[in-house]
Amino acid sequence: METILEMERITKKYGQFTANQEISFALREGEIHAIVGENGAGKTTLMRILYGMEQPTSGTIRIHGAEKRFANPAEAIDSGIGMVHQHFMLFPSRTIAENIVIGNEPRKSIWFDRKQAIAQVGALAERFRLPIAPGQKVGDCPLGTQQRVEILKVLYNGAKIIILDEPTAVLTPLEVKELLITLRGLAEQGKSIILITHKLHEVMEVADRITVLRNGRVTGQLEASQTTVEEVSRLMVGRELDGIRRETQQAGQPLLQVNRLFIRGKKGKPLLDHVSFHVRSGEIVGIAGISGNGQSELVQALTGLLPVDEGTVLLQGKEITNRSVKQIREAGLAHIPEDRYLWGTAKEASVKDNAIMGHHRLKEFQRGGILRQRKLDQLVTGWINSFAIKTSSLANKAQNLSGGNLQKVIVAREIGHATPFLLACEPTRGVDIGAMEFIHQQLMDKRNRGEAVLLVSSELSEIMTLSDRILVMFEGKVVGELNAETATEEQISLLMAGGKQP
Amino acid sequence: MEQLFDLSLLNSTVRMVTPILLAALGGSLCARVGIFNVALEGLVLVGAFGAILGNALTGNLFLAVLIAIGSVLLFSLLFAYITIHLRANEIVAGVALNFLAAGLTTFLLRTIFSVKGAYYDNEMHGLPAWDLPFLQQIPVLEQLFSGHTPLVWLAYLFVIGLHLFYFKSVAGSRLLAVGENPVAAQSIGLKVRKIQYAAILGCGLFCGLAGAQLSLGQVTMFSEGMTAGRGYIALVAMMLGQSNPVGMLASSLLFGFMDALSIRLQGLSIPTHFTLMLPYVMTVIAMFFFRDKSYLKNTGANSSAR
Amino acid sequence: MKQWKQTLSSLIHPLIALLIGFLAGAIAISVTGTPILQAYQEMWTGAFGNLYFLTSTLARSTPIILLGLGISLAFRSGYFNLGAEGQMVLGAVAAALTALYMPGSGIVKLLAAMAAGMIAGGLWSLLAAWMDAKFKVNLLISTLLLNYIASLFAGYLVTEPFKDTTGSAALAQSRMIEQGAWLPKLFAGMSLHAGFVLAVVIAILLTLLLRYTVFGYELKITGQNPLFAAYGGVNRTRVMILCMLTSGALAGLAGTVEVLGSQYRYIDGSLTAPGYAWTGLMATLLANSNPLGTTIAAVFLAALQTGAMGLERNTNVPLEISSVIQAALILFISARFTYSFLKRRKEEKNNGATV
Repeated sequence: METILEMERITKKYGQFTANQEISFALREGEIHAIVGENGAGKTTLMRILYGMEQPTSGTIRIHGAEKRFANPAEAIDSGIGMVHQHFMLFPSRTIAENIVIGNEPRKSIWFDRKQAIAQVGALAERFRLPIAPGQKVGDCPLGTQQRVEILKVLYNGAKIIILDEPTAVLTPLEVKELLITLRGLAEQGKSIILITHKLHEVMEVADRITVLRNGRVTGQLEASQTTVEEVSRLMVGRELDGIRRETQQAGQPLLQVNRLFIRGKKGKPLLDHVSFHVRSGEIVGIAGISGNGQSELVQALTGLLPVDEGTVLLQGKEITNRSVKQIREAGLAHIPEDRYLWGTAKEASVKDNAIMGHHRLKEFQRGGILRQRKLDQLVTGWINSFAIKTSSLANKAQNLSGGNLQKVIVAREIGHATPFLLACEPTRGVDIGAMEFIHQQLMDKRNRGEAVLLVSSELSEIMTLSDRILVMFEGKVVGELNAETATEEQISLLMAGGKQP
Repeated sequence: MEQLFDLSLLNSTVRMVTPILLAALGGSLCARVGIFNVALEGLVLVGAFGAILGNALTGNLFLAVLIAIGSVLLFSLLFAYITIHLRANEIVAGVALNFLAAGLTTFLLRTIFSVKGAYYDNEMHGLPAWDLPFLQQIPVLEQLFSGHTPLVWLAYLFVIGLHLFYFKSVAGSRLLAVGENPVAAQSIGLKVRKIQYAAILGCGLFCGLAGAQLSLGQVTMFSEGMTAGRGYIALVAMMLGQSNPVGMLASSLLFGFMDALSIRLQGLSIPTHFTLMLPYVMTVIAMFFFRDKSYLKNTGANSSAR
Repeated sequence: MKQWKQTLSSLIHPLIALLIGFLAGAIAISVTGTPILQAYQEMWTGAFGNLYFLTSTLARSTPIILLGLGISLAFRSGYFNLGAEGQMVLGAVAAALTALYMPGSGIVKLLAAMAAGMIAGGLWSLLAAWMDAKFKVNLLISTLLLNYIASLFAGYLVTEPFKDTTGSAALAQSRMIEQGAWLPKLFAGMSLHAGFVLAVVIAILLTLLLRYTVFGYELKITGQNPLFAAYGGVNRTRVMILCMLTSGALAGLAGTVEVLGSQYRYIDGSLTAPGYAWTGLMATLLANSNPLGTTIAAVFLAALQTGAMGLERNTNVPLEISSVIQAALILFISARFTYSFLKRRKEEKNNGATV
């Protein structure tokens, strides 16, 4: 097979920080080449360079042996490179056909020929066997279909090299299967595919070759047929992971009781459909599910950010349904929010101001409405030491902290509330392995102290490592409850996709 | 009551609506690429001054309108550079630009024309009134649409033109794409910045015409701050019309009617202060019917969900 | 050391903007044919040349400081209150009428007038806040439009029911307030009055509020990320209502001290014509909503204006030169957001957050 693309000794520096250090790899025609690595390993930077969104500090890119420099995505597209982004780049109010042809529209003089667009897109979809309805609005399509639209868009623009960035993160297991088949089909039709992911099972299933990155360097280049998940995993992480210390203990009394919670939706489908469950002291209950199946609404309802239409929530036997956030927090709830930038911090505020939220109201830290700054300083400094948070000072702005360090600030703050109940949402999304292990241990310690944790996460592995019991949500309903010790990944995946409990 | 509401009131509505409509159409170009342009007020003011200046300098109405457009384009370029290139907060930049427009026009009024408050010259001619012959045949329309300046006609033509541009043309489709999802637009190789610049300059063109109509169409003079909040009213008209040309025509007509009515009411025994209040009060009331705040996404909660 | 460096670097940008402002002014001055250096010298003399000019500058800055403080409070909590002008005008007219018609001794009238002025401004601001909180009426636009309504209403009051019929009939103004209800002057024969002291005291109080109180903390956080505030249990509606009320009350107070301290009556247009409210807004922007900074910026802008008046007296440069300098200044201050934005992006990358 001929080599279509070479990236040679690519280095990318942002000030002091080196995102890519002399990375080289070659892509052959018609192969699926996986690039794997943890968060922060440099995968995305490398692909942004290839797609013209970033300029390398040094190194060369060659396509069919000819050296190229891409100042912007348009130039990369012209050279036959297409990218399917992790967060879809779509216009939800437009039809599938309009989304695909944009930038290269069929036209009659200056007018947009929409009929022609639908015809062309229909033909394209047929040729690559990707079923879609060109006239449908993208906003109304399920995520799997939206991804097909993204792939078709890339094909419409004549891409020979297709980059897919974490394509399976938002898909149901069934959609993942379909995607992998599609990718194989495209490779057989001569397209070369770069697959960026950290999900190794998918890689082993579909990839021809694998390049492993760690800390911005290549740590291995392997033939998929001659390696194992374990080997790739070791190259990715670079060390054996410590286990989580779990103490066996009997769960106690129900601490949080949720009864038939119901929230009406805008389009007829309820956002939460009579959700009932409970969390006992001394246990971690995990809620699994593809994101967008009511988890966010459930969390916001429990914490007082979203009013519920029916049903009740009891915390330590006290009713907290539709109370204010402040009242609910005072009743004994702490909350690690799912999006640390949207809900969890104010990026322009200092580390200290971010860390004292909620604590600032306590008698201990204020007198007659005047904050006791010295005591607050002591509190936050204590956390910075015990959680090993890397910050230049208390006055440092939150936006200057790395994702992992900022997440630690949030975890310290919420665990610092020492409430009997903690609601932890996506507690380790986008943080490095070290911070992840640390945060997991914090959650486990809380459980081991006889307190209760409700863990909401779209990472199945996280749910399976930490939980005592697992609930699965699908379309606003709890569709299954499993014992964590006996549950298998397959069982949960099936429930997440809307299948029945076996 | 009969004296209050008659066809000539509607006729003056058609005229009074023009600056508001033109500015609203311009504002929609910016809104459609995701820029909330608070500077409409200042842009129209600059246009009004430019038109009078051009008229005084050249004595040629066509050139006067061109100079009005040119000076507003310069101002728009400044706004574009500061918001797009320097990425300043568009509201702060807009407010600053309004201030600059007010200060600069007053300053120039004094240095160039050596007058304070207002400049007019009895020798100066305003824009001519055009009658469309085929309309003169129809009784009601004849009264409604007679005696308007070319800019009035142009404004209504622009409504249709902009509608076709937004919803039928390729360029318009791309412009809307930039506003709907700039990141996605960038990813498919659209030149987001260029399109934003073009939209702001297009807005400048519309505001220049609005200003010319104000100072050479409605009256033939320039007075300090003569826009008197029409730019802000246009902004509300734009919001109410959801940046949709036909919708904006409807909402602008409402405000133009209020403008015309407030002048008409001055003839009655109602105190002038209250009649002058009418357009502003109506605009505030109209805002109760506009709930969508998405256009303010850049000003308040600046979430950085990556 | 680090903090010191930070303060210094935060000053660099305003200084550059200042330079650009004076550069723009220089260009405008050269158009009129006056030597630039001489013009700026005249301006300096006009603003600070002797005690009389200095106190005039401080007197002019008094309403600007109060307006700026009010606006900065609203900005800090994340709300664009552009209605300071209307709030000030209503405060002024309410104060004037209260001082005229309130029975009692001078000091009673004075205190009642101040209360009335603050209440009128506060309620007018609250109206916009209420429309926003309850009906989602865009605050930015509603406050702007309410300015016109307030000015026209105040104008109506002094042209019709409360018009001063004793003096020249041409002027729309209220009767003069009796001397006992005037705010005392700080220096005999100078225009500076006690309102200035009041403004400075309020600036200090606001600084303390923001830095040391629970409410100040919640206000800042609401401004920086309202969703984070809501998540943390801050009652955002309460914060907004209180901030807008106070913001309007301060604007009302600005009008009040102008009436009680220097004009002794409400004259239609006397507060809107000098553009106090807009200058206050600029002072706020210049100081990035820091109360003490706003105070200093307000004095600076007032000096620019009194200096320009001196310039106009002695040369042929019109006093609107100050508007040109201010506007250029503010335009480039607005680019500050940029500067910090670029820095932020770089830092994000430095931490490898986007990798």
